[in-house]
Amino acid sequence: MCSVGDENFETEEEKCMPAGGKITLANTKCNKCRENDPIVVLRSKDAYCEACFLAGATHKFKALLGKHKLIRPNDKVLIHHQIGHPSTALLHFLRCGLDLTTHKKLRFDVIFVYVEDNSQFTVDYRKEVLKKIENEIKLFKFVIKFVSFNDYIVNNNKLGDIVDNPDNLTLNEDDKININNIFVSKLNKTNKNDILHIKKRNLLIEIAKNLNCKFILTPEISSDIASQLLGEISLGRGSHVPIDTGFCDDRNQDVKILRPLRLFDMKELAFYNKLNSLDPISIKQTEINPYSSVQDLMKKFVNDLQVNYPATVTTIMKTGDKLAINDNGKQKCQLCMGPILNSNEELSSAESTSFSHWVSTQKPDNSKEKSRQEKYDSILKHYKVSENNNYCYSCKKIEGSIKS
Amino acid sequence: MSNLEITIEFGGGAELLFDNKKAHNVSLPIKNKQWIIGDLLLWIKENLLKDRPELFLQDDSVRPGILVLVNDADWELMDTVNYVIQPKDKILFISTLHGG
Ligand SMILES: [Zn+2]
Ligand SMILES: [Zn+2]
Repeated sequence: MCSVGDENFETEEEKCMPAGGKITLANTKCNKCRENDPIVVLRSKDAYCEACFLAGATHKFKALLGKHKLIRPNDKVLIHHQIGHPSTALLHFLRCGLDLTTHKKLRFDVIFVYVEDNSQFTVDYRKEVLKKIENEIKLFKFVIKFVSFNDYIVNNNKLGDIVDNPDNLTLNEDDKININNIFVSKLNKTNKNDILHIKKRNLLIEIAKNLNCKFILTPEISSDIASQLLGEISLGRGSHVPIDTGFCDDRNQDVKILRPLRLFDMKELAFYNKLNSLDPISIKQTEINPYSSVQDLMKKFVNDLQVNYPATVTTIMKTGDKLAINDNGKQKCQLCMGPILNSNEELSSAESTSFSHWVSTQKPDNSKEKSRQEKYDSILKHYKVSENNNYCYSCKKIEGSIKS
Repeated sequence: MSNLEITIEFGGGAELLFDNKKAHNVSLPIKNKQWIIGDLLLWIKENLLKDRPELFLQDDSVRPGILVLVNDADWELMDTVNYVIQPKDKILFISTLHGG
């Protein structure tokens, strides 16, 4: 770690993440204008008045989109709509940006999609939720399409109907069972989550292609990114961290996924909505056992730590943002579509494990003519040929879990 | 002495825990000590919260992920649970704990 040798410059306390301090209205003015009374405290330390807070949020949204200069005027952009404060705030950011008459106006076309994946609820409740979503989007005068995630999964990853009217979506009481049936029995929840996450991303790309969109905006916020990042590393997807959690996921040549809210936290967006008199759709909460999967555990870990250490999420993200793909692999994984890292002369630790497993199943080469090095080289060559190279390291372990 | 009249509001899905009703006008009985939000949370638990208090409360405060605003300002500016409630205060609880 780079902290070695820095001890002289840090006290014991500074080395750790600072815990949240206390601020009171009596002794604080807005951090930005130093004039008005603050109405919100971010990251337990920065207090802002309403005007500065709203201006700051809008600026942050535009700056991130603008900095990367990826979207060009008149490009078609697909927005992955979900339920919650982030998506509702995104609706408002986009509506305001598109309606501007100044040079700061957003100049692309947007279309929304809701991927229905609420099979934990009854069909009646799911219909009710879809109606509410349709109304929320109408309020902002946007167009939304609906797609069934269950259909896509059950029909072997074939893009089904993209419908305008949510009534035309086929919902069945046993969708949840049907989804589970695609997996080999006894597959753990971590791997199921991993596969469904990948499939949802693949589906979004299919939808974007079908609707001629070059970009997809998704509503993940900073804590989503932080827990995703830790999850990726635990699942052996470390090499895909930049595309899975960075601003731009460019693993697909035609469609790029952008995460315009990745620097916002939930409180910021909830306040943004409140100040703009927006209340997102309410949906029943489903109790999730945080210990049932790696992904759920990472969410709990990040959120619990964040309560007392408000720098948790930014610390994780800043570390993650330093990671870059060593993109020497031209080949793409058949499941997650991420690059497969080409192995160099030396075996990676994952390959070494698999190599020693493989080599112990081979007949020994007892010939006297070859040196030990030659024997090694020849067995290594055989190993490389025998290796299945259609999947990345992490997908190799799960691709067999889906019934074909 | 009259009771302490305030408005309690729920948003962002928190209202689902309170009969789907977003605004509640409540009258808090006068007691020998001042009402602070910490007391109000216990009062809500006993008088308004029908079931599953763990979705709203945790330890002596609200569950992380529920924001509290006093008269439209962040309660972190007002010493959170220790804020002394004034007549006609509007106390808003916004949930950020969404599914789907
Ligand atoms: Zn200000
Ligand atoms: Zn893969």
